[in-house]
Amino acid sequence: MTSKPYLYIFLATLFALGIAGCKKDNYEAPESMLTGRVVYQGQAIGLRSNGVQLELWQHGYAFFTKIPIYVNQDGNFSAKLFDGDYKLTRQRGVGPWIDQTDSIDVKVSGNTIIEVPVTPYTIITNATYQRNGTAITCTANLQTVSTVNPLEAVRLYVFRTALVDETNQDASVNVAAVDIPNISQPLTLNVTIPSSLANADAVYVRVGAKTVGVGELAYSPATKIQLK
Amino acid sequence: MKNILKYFMLSLITLLSFNACKKDYLEREPTFIVTDEQLWKDDKLILGLLANYYDRIPTDMGLTDQPGSQWRNMANYDDAIWSGLSNEEGRNNIFNYNRDSWRYYDYGFIRDINLALENVDKFGAAALNEAERTQIKAELRFIRAYVYFEMVKRMGGVPLITKQLIYDYQGDPAYLQQPRAKEAEVYDFIATELDAIKNDIGNAGSTGRANRYTCMALKSRAMLYAGSIAKYNALLTPSITTAGGEVGIPASRAVEYFQKSLDASKEVIAGPYSLYNNNPNLGENFYEAIVKKSSNPEVIFVRDFLVSKAKKHGFSYENIARGLREDNLSSSCITPTLNLVESYDYLDGSVGTIKNRNATNTDYIYYDNTIDIFANKDARLYGTVIYPGAGFKGLTVDMQAGVIVWNAATSSYQTFEGADIGSNYTDNKLLVAASGPHRSIQEVSNTGFYLRKYIDANDGSSTRGIQSDVWWIWFRLGEIYLNASEAAFELGQTTDALTYVNRIRQRAGFGDNSFSAATLTIEKIRHERRTELAFEDHRVWDLKRWRQADKVWTGNANSPDAQLYALYPYRVVRPGDPTRDGKYVFVKLVAPRFRSPRFFQIFNYYSSFDQAVINNNPKVIQNPFN
Repeated sequence: MTSKPYLYIFLATLFALGIAGCKKDNYEAPESMLTGRVVYQGQAIGLRSNGVQLELWQHGYAFFTKIPIYVNQDGNFSAKLFDGDYKLTRQRGVGPWIDQTDSIDVKVSGNTIIEVPVTPYTIITNATYQRNGTAITCTANLQTVSTVNPLEAVRLYVFRTALVDETNQDASVNVAAVDIPNISQPLTLNVTIPSSLANADAVYVRVGAKTVGVGELAYSPATKIQLK
Repeated sequence: MKNILKYFMLSLITLLSFNACKKDYLEREPTFIVTDEQLWKDDKLILGLLANYYDRIPTDMGLTDQPGSQWRNMANYDDAIWSGLSNEEGRNNIFNYNRDSWRYYDYGFIRDINLALENVDKFGAAALNEAERTQIKAELRFIRAYVYFEMVKRMGGVPLITKQLIYDYQGDPAYLQQPRAKEAEVYDFIATELDAIKNDIGNAGSTGRANRYTCMALKSRAMLYAGSIAKYNALLTPSITTAGGEVGIPASRAVEYFQKSLDASKEVIAGPYSLYNNNPNLGENFYEAIVKKSSNPEVIFVRDFLVSKAKKHGFSYENIARGLREDNLSSSCITPTLNLVESYDYLDGSVGTIKNRNATNTDYIYYDNTIDIFANKDARLYGTVIYPGAGFKGLTVDMQAGVIVWNAATSSYQTFEGADIGSNYTDNKLLVAASGPHRSIQEVSNTGFYLRKYIDANDGSSTRGIQSDVWWIWFRLGEIYLNASEAAFELGQTTDALTYVNRIRQRAGFGDNSFSAATLTIEKIRHERRTELAFEDHRVWDLKRWRQADKVWTGNANSPDAQLYALYPYRVVRPGDPTRDGKYVFVKLVAPRFRSPRFFQIFNYYSSFDQAVINNNPKVIQNPFN
């Protein structure tokens, strides 16, 4: 019985210390949101999720290392940062566009929006889809921006989620560049929904353009195709 | 009170006066630091230094858990998954290989070697004669060449430092900053070093210390890597190069490197080694070729262990089959996949796919015993993997995942699995075997297979008290034959390539001339490397140098190569049908604990440099795509 007050005091002290301990010596978390898009003529470039990385560098501090920023599959990216001056660089040979090694100065002050201009090789400007049973027919319009590296192939992908690309796919069809008679004409691609997705409510489809010598593809937006 | 103070003062003075007697108190020789000069006067310390350096040679795998060597990495690729404790579950869920995977940049070790090389000349004359000094320097240079090989195969070209770099305290360290050498220059350095030392290195017949054949074995491997990088990097899109050649070897040099590799291999093959062929049971023979330590003519160079000297490891404790474990914990961590098992062909030469369904895929194939499904397979399967019904330590490792019961009403089978291993079904016969496999229990095989290669068959070796002293193989003649075969084939010398690869296959039970000039392809030689050298730290490096890793490990869940599979045996309960009741059937499935398909991306071909390295030495350029 007699020890009870001590116990309470002990607990109260512990509680007080616990609260105080959280506050002390903590840095404030970064607050400013940098958001942006990878664009060509105001149009975002579709990419593979987790595929293309932009690098943010901040000079002037002893700890100097890049802040990697992965671009989403719709060409958007975002990062939570401290206010300050950064340099944004585009990794060489990764994205489906011409290497551009000049850095872009980014001044982050509060929430900041930037656009990262790139010059792609070949992009999909428009893609429409028709489903007939398990067959999907796609009509895609291509636009060749740069011929530094020629087109290698155009591919149509089917997947069970919206994150559809070269890696995440259940079925795909490949049309090599030599089989495309006229690139300025709409291109037709046919793919069959695989039996593993026969019971799905919907599938997602997407078209990508592969350029010779570049790992990543430039994609059209992922489109949902309702099966039921 | 006064007295106490007096005594205290007196004793203090006495104490101080004692200390004062010791002259040069601050300049005594430390008793716990051995200086370079002392070290190089003492034979035993010199030997200890060499042993230390040999022990620090890195490998991606190995049998130990030490800096630069981590046996658990065996579960990171496609030959095995992790079935041990769930704290290492990440190995089954590698979403993608990180940019710093395989990173190795150990200039601390390079400096130690360079320092020792200089000290041999400076102090070595006290304890060593001229010939001994030459030999020790040759051994140190061998270790240095090996370390550079480990660096270049992971990072591409690295700075070639062959002398100590000493800072002059003038405030400007720029003269210490060395740029990366070209990738080809590092391989050339390795070749010239090995050629230069092979006549001085001695150690004939030793497997723990390097001799001239060890040098040529390393040269055979390194030159093969250089040749295939030269040839296949150019064929990769996008090919990985830097403007300064730090990464990427010109395709024009491929032939030269393949020739050097072939010449080095021929030198080893002409040496005193021969393939292990002491056991008429070909499966046991292949197992013994790796683990047998006495009169084993095949091994060239090993990291050795000895229980009686307490240099031992827990590899058998961690990886023994669950039903055979002698300790109360662990076992079953590295479990081979069905992917590896199916890569072993049938002895008639047909592809090694496991036949669990009938030709029309309408019903299972019923086997009398679980072991029957593995009949007529490449003997190296038995020597590498413990499959259901196979023996180890004179015991049988039974495996059964459950029972399937015929439901006459629906004309279909119903599957029953148990919550515990070693449990019985309602018919009082076995439900789940003592060794599993089981979908979720930790430290039970998740794939239906256990590891045999490198597991110690001696009593008590899988206990923590005794442990194991099976050695880790750096080089053995089997690899050299395959190196020779690959290099010869790349050079268009098909006849030689056939001779070498058929020797290896002959030992595996395929007969004398199983490949012919008409059927031999580079894919078949590569396939032999996977089956012969599984778990010997080759698979990932082979796929990298052939520039195949991104095509095999695509990250695609529908790819049969990126996804890892298990094979579960079930007992059939179908009373009234004596042709099927009590027989065994097999189900192929994605290993239940395996989460994300292996995903190797183009930036993984060369590991990224730590930004701290670049900050300290701005002359180092980052690898492409990183």
